[in-house]
Amino acid sequence: MKGYQEYFLRKLGWFLITFVFAFLLNFILPRMMPGDPVAVITQRVTQGMTSQTGVAKIYQEYSELFGTNKPMLEQFFLYVKNVSQGNFGISFSQYPRPVAEIIKSSIWWTVCLQFPAIIVGWLIGNTLGALAAYLKGGFDKVIMPVSIFVSNFPAFGMAIIMVVIFATTLKWFPISGGYGFDQIPNMSWTFVWSVIVHYQLPFWSIVLISIGGQAIGMRSMSIYELNADYVKYSRFLGINDRKIVGYVFRNAMLPQVTGLALSIGTMVGGALVAEIIFSYPGLGNTILKAVVGQDYPLISGVTLIITLMVLSANFIIEIIYGIIDPRIKATQAD
Amino acid sequence: MKNMLQQIFRSSKFLIGFTIFMTMLLTVIIYPLIVKDEPLAIIGQGTFFEPGIYVNVFDSINSTHYTLSLNDAAARRIASKLGDQERLDMKDWLLAFGIPENEIDIHDNTKLMELWVNNYDSKLALGMTSAKRNYYARLDKSLKGILGTEGVIIAIKNTETGLLEETNSIVQTDYVNIGQVSSIRILPLGTDNFGRDILTELVSATRTSLQIGFVAGIIATLIGLTLGLFAGYIGGLVDDVIMFITNLFTVIPGFVLLILISFSIGQEQRGAITVAVVIGFTSWVWTARAVRSQVVSLRNRDHVNLSKLSGHSIVHIILADILPYIASYVIMALILQISSGILAEAGLSILGLGPKTTEVPTLGLMMNWAMIYSAHVTGKWWAYIPVLVTIAMVSFSMNLMNTGLDQVFNPALRD
Amino acid sequence: MSNVMLEVRELTTKYVTRFGEDIYAVDHVSLKVEEGKTLGIAGESGCGKSTLALSLMGYYFAPLHYTSGEIIIDGRNISGMNPNDVRKSILGKEIAYIPQAAMNALNPTRKIIHFIEDVIKEHELYITKKDIYDRARKLFETLGLSADVLQKYPVELSGGMKQRTVIAISVLLLPKVLIADEPSSALDVTSQKMVIKMLRKLMETGLISSLIFITHELPLLYNVADDIMVMYAGQIVEHGNAKQTVFDPIHPYAKGLMGSIIVPEKGLRDVKLTAIPGVPPNLKNPPSGCRFAERCKYVQPECKTHSINLNEVDGGRAYRCIFSEEKLREAYQNG
Repeated sequence: MKGYQEYFLRKLGWFLITFVFAFLLNFILPRMMPGDPVAVITQRVTQGMTSQTGVAKIYQEYSELFGTNKPMLEQFFLYVKNVSQGNFGISFSQYPRPVAEIIKSSIWWTVCLQFPAIIVGWLIGNTLGALAAYLKGGFDKVIMPVSIFVSNFPAFGMAIIMVVIFATTLKWFPISGGYGFDQIPNMSWTFVWSVIVHYQLPFWSIVLISIGGQAIGMRSMSIYELNADYVKYSRFLGINDRKIVGYVFRNAMLPQVTGLALSIGTMVGGALVAEIIFSYPGLGNTILKAVVGQDYPLISGVTLIITLMVLSANFIIEIIYGIIDPRIKATQAD
Repeated sequence: MKNMLQQIFRSSKFLIGFTIFMTMLLTVIIYPLIVKDEPLAIIGQGTFFEPGIYVNVFDSINSTHYTLSLNDAAARRIASKLGDQERLDMKDWLLAFGIPENEIDIHDNTKLMELWVNNYDSKLALGMTSAKRNYYARLDKSLKGILGTEGVIIAIKNTETGLLEETNSIVQTDYVNIGQVSSIRILPLGTDNFGRDILTELVSATRTSLQIGFVAGIIATLIGLTLGLFAGYIGGLVDDVIMFITNLFTVIPGFVLLILISFSIGQEQRGAITVAVVIGFTSWVWTARAVRSQVVSLRNRDHVNLSKLSGHSIVHIILADILPYIASYVIMALILQISSGILAEAGLSILGLGPKTTEVPTLGLMMNWAMIYSAHVTGKWWAYIPVLVTIAMVSFSMNLMNTGLDQVFNPALRD
Repeated sequence: MSNVMLEVRELTTKYVTRFGEDIYAVDHVSLKVEEGKTLGIAGESGCGKSTLALSLMGYYFAPLHYTSGEIIIDGRNISGMNPNDVRKSILGKEIAYIPQAAMNALNPTRKIIHFIEDVIKEHELYITKKDIYDRARKLFETLGLSADVLQKYPVELSGGMKQRTVIAISVLLLPKVLIADEPSSALDVTSQKMVIKMLRKLMETGLISSLIFITHELPLLYNVADDIMVMYAGQIVEHGNAKQTVFDPIHPYAKGLMGSIIVPEKGLRDVKLTAIPGVPPNLKNPPSGCRFAERCKYVQPECKTHSINLNEVDGGRAYRCIFSEEKLREAYQNG
């Protein structure tokens, strides 16, 4: 057990370091904007505003929030203090809603959409990849090119195709949104049903995107493992093929888990863009709105939250990996 | 070297990818030599003109008319006017009127029209709302119009008297030879929401996107290669530091940085090349990792040790004894970087963080415009399908080349 | 004459490439191993000796395929048997195998004892985990291995330890014949010695009855084997007792092979070191005559057209050459 503890602590330490670093980047990058960031922001926000006092007020508000009149170090601690209290400032584009509130209303849509979809896609992709490696022949010849094609297809492209086929042409599912436009969020059956119906297209397009890459990865890992020496040796000891296939796929799957940890950031990025195609009420659309509205505090808040989400997912996968790969416990034991 | 090239070109995957890619590259180079239009010139007054051949009506009236007696001309005219919805509506009326369902074939134009003309009576209410009745009256009128055999008179207004003077008349059997009409514009992919020729725009966008991909890919590969070489070859503290940074950027999602940086740069400063540079600077991580692990496995090979003993400099050893061995690997990484750079630009553009819009189109911007104008909901497929296909083809062809190369360099993956 | 544990008659097996080409890597090979004896198989890499080792198991999977011939283990012909029966009743129990790269021969994510359970349960349906453990522990201790190894994962073992563990697992079911394919070539000298000692011990304690030892290291072979077979391009080119084959080879290839290695044995130390020029033929299209003809110093025109049989000579020796033994010796005398 000591080996696992050590592994856990190392991963936890790493998680904290990366988070601090991401946090720093989130702080520094906007401050590297040419000129006075607050002036730039104020100018962007106040385009079209005629009231000079209004402009001055906004300028003052953000100077205070960012603390641009203070030294860098003090600014940083102010930022830390604000963020740790969940205070990301006030949104420009949806004034006077606080950024935290906007994020709170959209984050669960994203979490509930993306993580299940990525996991389902990972499972299906790995199964297909393993089958392609094991069955070879016709199955492989169909699955592989399709997987290569699909995995190179941009996430938003898949989303658009799903919309065109299943929403505008076949009219099986609604075109956009997270629930019917005539619904008010509540716990009634009609609302839940509406959410479920709206969930399908975004969900399956993210699943489809994730499948391809996973299938390719699993196939090569499985082929590598199928040719491993232990397969031949186990066969010559009379162990039956089913058991050997079990060995192979378990071993091939382990690097796939690490692979998922490493690529989850990219996958979430693609899925966020896909959300936009469906006008899903998640973080993807929040980013779009923030960009369109030149809403600096919102962008900053959303990117920090997404980073935190991805880092946590990554951390959780690493922790699970430590449990399922027996070598982790063994190698660090003494 | 020659042998390796031969082997590479014998790989069917590589060959297919290479052919697709070269075809696109050549199109992008040759097309602007033939069609010299500005890619962003607005030619259509209106949005989303369908793909097709646009013939100038004024010119065709003034061209020589030829009389052709074609039997199916009338039927075609009817067919083009009768949409699926109209057919169904006609059937509904006929059913309400009392025609048995098995006698109505909505796919047989002549029969359907015959039934309609023989039975329709605008005075019959048949229990319909007045709106519905008005609709049928209008439908009937337009159908009768198609069936008419009258010609059309072309008249111009006399500027002095204000009277119309007939100059020409057109009958239903009049034809013009398209070759004699002086102004024709072929829009193979129609126009976009701003009324721009999509094909010209697409070719230009593909070129820009490829440029973005190349710049981003080369920057990412150079950074990744340099860091990977130093980390792998020098090892020790240098390795630790570089790997620490690399690991950091592996878990911190690249697109978050991309969004933050692009947003910080601001709309005005974002040219295509700036976007490419930003993409390049946020996507070197994988190359660095891959190169490092290759170099680590090479570091203690005999020929490298020999070179060290001969007193060659680090630069010399890296260039002469290590680089050639990882060249194939680096090329594969570069190909992947290029294709993911193109996808990254597209994603950014959809978020509204793409290059400045007034200069050049990119594939991502075209996608962005089509989405903003809901082309995918309104069925204007020509505005986004060709863009999607292009993006997919670029990415697919490059990955196919890569898979082909992979199979040549890693024979274990072959079967 | 003692009991013949393994007899192979005219065994031919082939590889089928992904382009559908046949490569006959083992071509009409016959051999006999008696109880208590060790047969050594020698040859350059790519001569088919590892393929022969795989083929002797009587259990084939792609890309290796059985073509013809018979394998008789302790009087039981296994060539016509259903593969599933071979797997259950022959593999591990009658004949066992130690792979060339034992470093990776164990499933990295399975504890040694669990792997042993998998192996034994495949052959004995009604056996408890405790019995399996006891049996494994006893065996490991007999062979001088710590029982702690059983609770470990392969990554936790050193190279030499892994190799010895693999050997122990191979003899778990007390097979009559053990085939060891280069069991020591990837190890350091100390580990090599321990492996050889262990193989000897297997024979001495009667855990196995016969051993087939495949290697390209002739000095080792001379120390371990009673008989030696030299293979070239999928065929046996010389066969005889160890001493004669090493010190007094008949076939020009065997002669060349023995000359190409530094053997720190008395009497061989002065032999001039020579390498055989050229490479073995491509077995996709094997030459119709003698397969060694292209590289042979003493080649005659008819070598390339006549198919050459194995000539048996006194002392249980055999060689595959168009010349008579005397003629060859004469040629060697003259250099």
